[in-house]
Amino acid sequence: MWKFIVRRLLITMPQIVLLSILVFIMAQLMPGDALSGLIDPNIDPAAIEEQREKLGLNDPWYVQYTDWVTSAIQGDLGQSFRFKMPVTELIGQRLVNTFWLGLATLIFTYIIAIPLGITSGRYNDTLRDQIITGYTYIGFATPLFIFALVMLWVFGYSLGWFPTGGSVEPGLEPGSFAYIMSKINHLLLPAISMALITTVNTVQYLRSEIIDTKQKDFVLTARAKGASEARVYRRHIFRNSLLPVAAYFGFEITGLIGGTIFIETIFSYPGMGLLFMESVLQRDYSVVTSVVLLFGIASILGALLSDIILSLVDPRIRIK
Amino acid sequence: MKRSSWRILLFAIMLGFVLALAACTSGGEKQADQDEKSAENGKKEEKSGEKVYSIEDFSVETTNEGEAIEGGHFKFGIVTDTAFEGQLNYNFYSGVPDSEIIKWFDDPLLSADEKHNYTQDGAATFEVDDSGKVFTFKIRDNVNWHDGKPVTAEDWLFAYEVIADPDYTGVRYGSDFTVIEGIEEYHNGEADSISGIEVVDEKTLKITYKEASPSLLSGGIWPYALPKHIFKDIPVAEMAESDVVRKNPIGFGPFKVDSITPGEAVVLTKNEDYWQGEPKLDKVTVKVVNPKTVVQALKTGEVDAVHEFPSDQYPDNAEMSNVEFLGNVDMAYTYIGFKLGTWDKEKKEVKPDPNKKMSDVNLRKAMWHAIDNNAVGEKFYNGLRWNATTLIPPSHPNFHDKDNPGVAYDPEKAKKILDDAGYKDTNGDGMRENSDGEELVINFASMSGGETAEPIANYYIQAWKNVGLNVQLLDGRLIEFNSFYDRIGQNGDDDPAIDIYQAAWSVGTDVDPAGLYGRDALFNFPRYANEENDKLLAEGVSEKAMDLKYRQKVYNEWQQLMVEEIPVIPTVYRAVLVPVNKRVINYSIQYNWGDFHEIAVTQEETEKAK
Repeated sequence: MWKFIVRRLLITMPQIVLLSILVFIMAQLMPGDALSGLIDPNIDPAAIEEQREKLGLNDPWYVQYTDWVTSAIQGDLGQSFRFKMPVTELIGQRLVNTFWLGLATLIFTYIIAIPLGITSGRYNDTLRDQIITGYTYIGFATPLFIFALVMLWVFGYSLGWFPTGGSVEPGLEPGSFAYIMSKINHLLLPAISMALITTVNTVQYLRSEIIDTKQKDFVLTARAKGASEARVYRRHIFRNSLLPVAAYFGFEITGLIGGTIFIETIFSYPGMGLLFMESVLQRDYSVVTSVVLLFGIASILGALLSDIILSLVDPRIRIK
Repeated sequence: MKRSSWRILLFAIMLGFVLALAACTSGGEKQADQDEKSAENGKKEEKSGEKVYSIEDFSVETTNEGEAIEGGHFKFGIVTDTAFEGQLNYNFYSGVPDSEIIKWFDDPLLSADEKHNYTQDGAATFEVDDSGKVFTFKIRDNVNWHDGKPVTAEDWLFAYEVIADPDYTGVRYGSDFTVIEGIEEYHNGEADSISGIEVVDEKTLKITYKEASPSLLSGGIWPYALPKHIFKDIPVAEMAESDVVRKNPIGFGPFKVDSITPGEAVVLTKNEDYWQGEPKLDKVTVKVVNPKTVVQALKTGEVDAVHEFPSDQYPDNAEMSNVEFLGNVDMAYTYIGFKLGTWDKEKKEVKPDPNKKMSDVNLRKAMWHAIDNNAVGEKFYNGLRWNATTLIPPSHPNFHDKDNPGVAYDPEKAKKILDDAGYKDTNGDGMRENSDGEELVINFASMSGGETAEPIANYYIQAWKNVGLNVQLLDGRLIEFNSFYDRIGQNGDDDPAIDIYQAAWSVGTDVDPAGLYGRDALFNFPRYANEENDKLLAEGVSEKAMDLKYRQKVYNEWQQLMVEEIPVIPTVYRAVLVPVNKRVINYSIQYNWGDFHEIAVTQEETEKAK
């Protein structure tokens, strides 16, 4: 297994390099640069040109890329032009927020998915199942960005149950109880909004797996042994049905990354997704490449995680 | 094995369906969205028949009555869809959001009036000697940094030294600085100090300029100090990222920074030792508000005021019960420019080209006559933008020539001018050819952004068509901001396909337009140059123009010259609107207003909308 992980990581490396080159070229192809937003008669064009030269923005892309890679290998992702601070520090600030948002979303996703999936699979083709399946279809059909806006409007503004933006109430002492509660409070609405949409895949998966497993011979055997219905579901069917759900976990992480870009923009939640959007719009190249690289690494690690989980849940699967 | 590959196939098919479904739905959604929007537009147009607002009806100061309570917590919103950068020092910031935060805790040393001229009421007073070149500034004795140390002449000099330093990372070093004696030598590393700036004593600073100019008195002096006792050990290149800029910023303004949530909010508490007197509020929170949700944030009392309200949302919210809308003329104008030449990169100056498509002034004049900018203002902006007449907006009341009518809307006259100048339809397609009988197609570049960008571009194209001119949208679509300015020539590489373009300028406090229309100005996007123009621009900043009457005369002549020569058509002036909660008193959006310590509230809680 360790061999497998190491090999996977080795394959991953060229993928990441390729990804970073692609991202870099695409960033360069975008018209304008970090300084083109500064068209202002109060600012001397010569001063802008001087900064451009200093930042190396006039160099061809491969020179800029090599510069960036050389320092990136040394752990220095460069300087954000817009924020005038090291990219590592900037991402550090934002990554924490996105990590908690992602974690909360995952927790909500499974809290919603597991009971719904089991109910729906166990009582398939009943009214209960139809309602749940109906919900999943609506979920499939609803674009996240519209749904999140509606949630924000209803629960954030109309009912006023949740804060409507930011990651924490300004002015609280970091680390204090009130601060942590405020953080959680700010997380809830975006996390639930995203979970309600992303969970539908998992619900559907679980449902079909349970229906599938229900008809297998070992279930029949279990019943014949006289195991109670609850035990049959808990011990025999549920466990066996979790397999694809676990396999899906890695993809879930990839999906989360796409989702956070929308969610964070709508809820003005300062995480990686919002940072990515802003940096693209403002042509803050060093940040864009670094963020995409991190996203890429996260997706690849997510897939790896899926494989590992799979082998843990089902010992029959041997990874070679 | 077989089963699982089936499963994969099934999954792939399902995924395909999901994607197709998602695509359909999101497509459908967009369609619906658009329908809804156009329905909304329909409504607006109906409304606009009756609801046209005028800037005259807005006050620049709050008119709320009531008894101020002790203390209070004021919540200020910065309307932006991005996080603020957090370069919280006047000497390093570059974004508007940052400056909207800095103004609460730092002051300029010089104050200015609503006509943008420096006054003697600021943290420093000044004297000019007879030559008009030597300024002596005296910082008031009670002006102290938040840490209790006095603001000294040394601190002010330090700001100049840092900005002129070759390692400085900001964009402030420009023509405001190069006019000081000896600063270029310092910038190029040839001198160890700036010979034109002298610290006379602890509170007195003397600056010698190369030439006397009225521009110096209206925003031409860098009025911000940098506390040397804090910054002196930080290398200049690292100052902008240092903690004293990002985490514990310092100033001498009415409030002190208490805590910062990066990118989101800043909490400030009052500075009891403020030089203008103790502030009335106890606490100020400045936070980022998304333009999509700003209305809700105001209605629910999440913020008391915002720095700028998106004026396209105003007509739907004009009746918001818990706020008062303040309004002022924005220091900006929108214009349509004509490409009259190219940029000479070697000489760094404009190279006019008499063979350009738009080089005939009659054609330009006819195009101005053909468009009705008041109608544009009323139809698309509910009167919150209105017909512009000259290139100096009314936000500069000293210099905007009210009596200059510009070129009025008169399509018949436009047709006549074109007829007389030889633009006739010779091939019978309904469109005029140029005077040599060649087909005339004018390419119009316009920027995307906002719902109204496209209809406005189409309106202009239609208006020109009505007088027989064939104007086409460049590439058949609107252009995104960055590529727009790339193609207009922000780097000097003008796209020859562009004949005319629509853009906007915000103008500085000093009226001098040389940065936009001078011969050596890169931002002179029309690439217009003319000797009379050079003369007037030079005259406007000359020593003689220190006399206000004379300067007014020069700029009136310049405005008239622009109306005759028409390198660009000024199209609309605009209003800036700021909603302020009804519990707030003594708030103002006048230019250069600096009495933040006077702001007070009449009740503990922000009033909510009914």
